[in-house]
Amino acid sequence: MKDLARLAIDTAHARGASYADARAIESTREDIQVKNGEVGGLDLSSSAGIGVRVLVQGAWGFSATDDLTKEGVERCAASAVSIGRASASLEHDDVRLAPEPAHRAVWASQCAIDPFQVSLETKLGLLFRIDSEMRAVRGVKNAESFLSFQRKHQYYLSTEGSDIEQTLTRSGGGFSATAVSADDVQRRSFPQAEGFHQALGYELIEGTPYVEHARRVAEEAVALLTAEQCPAGERDLILEGSQLALQIHESVGHPTELDRVLGMEANYAGTSFLTLEKQGKLQFGSKLVNLVADATLPHALGTFAYDDDGVEAQRWHIVQDGLFLGYLTSRELAHRVGESRSKGCVRSDGWFHIPMIRMVNLSLMAGSGSLEDLLSDTDHGIYMETNRSWSIDQLRYNFQFKTEIAWEIRKGKRVRMLKNPTYQGITTGFWNSCDSICGPEEWKPWGVVNCGKGQPGQVGEITHGAAPARFRKVRVGVGYED
Amino acid sequence: MLREEAKAKLDQAISLARGAEVEVMLGGGSDALTRFANNEITQNVEERRYLLSVRIVEGKRTGRATGNDLSPKGMAQLIERAKEATRHQPEIPELLPLPGPQTYRTVDALDPETERLSADARAREVGKAVTRCREAGLEGAGIYEVRAGTIGDYGEIGPLAIANSRGLFAYHEGTSAEFLVSALDGTASGWAGYESHSARGVDGGALSSRAVEKALRSRDPKPWDPGRYTVVLEPAAVADLLQDMSWISFGALLVQEGRSFLSGKIGRKVMGENITIRDDPFHPLHRGSPFDAEGMPTLPTTIIERGVAKSAVYDRQTAAKEGRESTGHGLPVPNTYGPIARHLVLEGGSGGVEDLVRRVDRGLLVTRVWYTNVVDPKTVTLTGMTRDGLFAIEKGKVTHGVRNFRFNQSVVQMLNEVEATSAQESSGGVVCPGLLVHGFQMSSATEF
Repeated sequence: MKDLARLAIDTAHARGASYADARAIESTREDIQVKNGEVGGLDLSSSAGIGVRVLVQGAWGFSATDDLTKEGVERCAASAVSIGRASASLEHDDVRLAPEPAHRAVWASQCAIDPFQVSLETKLGLLFRIDSEMRAVRGVKNAESFLSFQRKHQYYLSTEGSDIEQTLTRSGGGFSATAVSADDVQRRSFPQAEGFHQALGYELIEGTPYVEHARRVAEEAVALLTAEQCPAGERDLILEGSQLALQIHESVGHPTELDRVLGMEANYAGTSFLTLEKQGKLQFGSKLVNLVADATLPHALGTFAYDDDGVEAQRWHIVQDGLFLGYLTSRELAHRVGESRSKGCVRSDGWFHIPMIRMVNLSLMAGSGSLEDLLSDTDHGIYMETNRSWSIDQLRYNFQFKTEIAWEIRKGKRVRMLKNPTYQGITTGFWNSCDSICGPEEWKPWGVVNCGKGQPGQVGEITHGAAPARFRKVRVGVGYED
Repeated sequence: MLREEAKAKLDQAISLARGAEVEVMLGGGSDALTRFANNEITQNVEERRYLLSVRIVEGKRTGRATGNDLSPKGMAQLIERAKEATRHQPEIPELLPLPGPQTYRTVDALDPETERLSADARAREVGKAVTRCREAGLEGAGIYEVRAGTIGDYGEIGPLAIANSRGLFAYHEGTSAEFLVSALDGTASGWAGYESHSARGVDGGALSSRAVEKALRSRDPKPWDPGRYTVVLEPAAVADLLQDMSWISFGALLVQEGRSFLSGKIGRKVMGENITIRDDPFHPLHRGSPFDAEGMPTLPTTIIERGVAKSAVYDRQTAAKEGRESTGHGLPVPNTYGPIARHLVLEGGSGGVEDLVRRVDRGLLVTRVWYTNVVDPKTVTLTGMTRDGLFAIEKGKVTHGVRNFRFNQSVVQMLNEVEATSAQESSGGVVCPGLLVHGFQMSSATEF
């Protein structure tokens, strides 16, 4: 594969590309689902191919193929160059790549137990135990559980001399119980909605107490059918970590992607309210709020040694003491914010898609105290747990989330379970209302594995570390007022 | 990939399985997309790829392996992996045997000129679009995408051809062309889009002019209070809401499990009498695949007829549960999701959106919506944002831009409150008209 990547960039260069990089990738996946006592899906998949990106007359071209013959790769590289020429045929500012040293490296994420060497019997055995625990609870309509494993082995070569080999293994799993009545559908999930994923081997699965939580989670799903509706109005809101992770993702991560800020996603995902003049000036959140981008975070989904621009992984503050400091950047756009080096945020979801700015791991730094301390300190509020739906506007101001479950807090105690909890706000007002963040003992690296961006659409995977936090006077109960 | 080539590939895979019960699916093709922003081309890509998915059936056990090495060695490895997956799992009591040969209607969906359209030709249309934006002092952004085969919006791959060891063979290849353009002026924006199986109708300049006109009109939007409004939804907005409703409502498994608003309501009136919803791949604006991922023929299916719930869409498994035939809406077996409606058609009237606007004394015109998601599945309450042109309608005329709203709206309730419909268009993979609707819930404002 590496020789093919070399052939691709040499061919592109010979045909007139001023810059070329190629990613030759082999990937393997295993996805197993169990639903209501039966195997709901079992797919072992693999894919190999090459993607070639070029600059021709200052404009981008990209082509990808699974024809891994010499002729196929040469044809793909030639296609990328002719596409680049077509891009250059319109009036344009030449792409300028921020300098980056040529890197030669071999890197692999940590994997103690190779998930692809663990037997299917072992994996199915675990899922059937979870399934059986959930279905032991009367009233559960659907018990669903899954395991998912992926390995990506990538060679990245560029005409600037970079030669980088990286292997990423990630594992994940989770389950949900659904309960249904004539007019209601309620769901509970564990460890988070869409499961918990990390860049680890099967040791992640072995270390997660799925079976131990299955019955409790199923009981909560059934109890939600008869729980009271979350009231509407303004309340102090405490968000559990995995819900806060998605809040970070939508209201901090996406609006700080510099390609969005500069209008390059305008037709699809939108732009961003975090325009350039706000950098270093906008009080994004309260003084407690520190948000750190970190492509070096151990075992995280957005961790690598080098991004798909060939830039070394970095760590930096996006928001420090509430002040908005910086963007997620690429070699192409770093100069637009006066930076001489990219922050290394360019990735692609496969050999067949062009790399673009994607979030690296972005986490809310821990404060102090436990969740119980925080609840005890709340006079009248609502504690919401586990995401169920999400939506945010095209500039990333107005968001609305729904979680699976909530509890009303009165004088520091959980007094009743609430169903259909929703909350809505405006990004900066919300983050400025943050007055407490739990400590490191509550902080966890939650994963997001379904982040859509770009055209053609790409699916990104990122980790957002977070501990539960409290936000004052948030509008809750939206969508259920009537 | 031509029919003969696809058949030869699948026949070869079946023979490599050496007598096993096997289903083989081939998918893929090409996807070329020119993306522009700030009045220049920012991305320009092309991918060509295929994959083969092999499913082995041994009695009540089944396992699948998928890969993109289509060489004899690669196919043999896939078959071995699928057999391995099958061997090590428990029985699925309700698993059905593979179906035998089926007959399919032919759909004329492949336009050779579209399949061959070059990057230069795409750049020319984009050039017309950005020139129009530049002339108006606006920033143009959008895509011109041309596909042949079955690569989906997020790189997922659907069936181009399916065969099995019982003699079934199905093949369908189509092309698609999509041109979308936004014209932006700060936070104000306008949008226009075109989609078809053929690129012949793409006119980047004309589409851009529509987007520019909307953007200029939407400048300096006025804030209106949240509340219930009479709204005119353009087809792009209707399509988004219908698609979400379909995902959580129209599949038979959702209905059987009690998770759909249709559960227990088949045969009952659930919407206004002016609402008829079908799933129909043969509609001339769809030209979709005539079979599903099980190789079963997709039948045009009426879901709502004049407001009455008629039928969900079925795969073989859900159909067997009710003692009826599949409607050909299955996903790859086994799956936990059940069948889905892929070619929605909402019947419409005649005339344009402007005719709907004329009927409104005071209300809002919604160009399209964004980031819709489910708030409540049993009422099909969705939230989302208005986008790229929200306008006031006063005494039958569009008068000025309005700041965007977040809505929380039951689509079922909305389809009980439709006063009038325009002619149908194809947008976002849905064939639907614009709608004049009363009592649409705009629940909160945003900053632009």
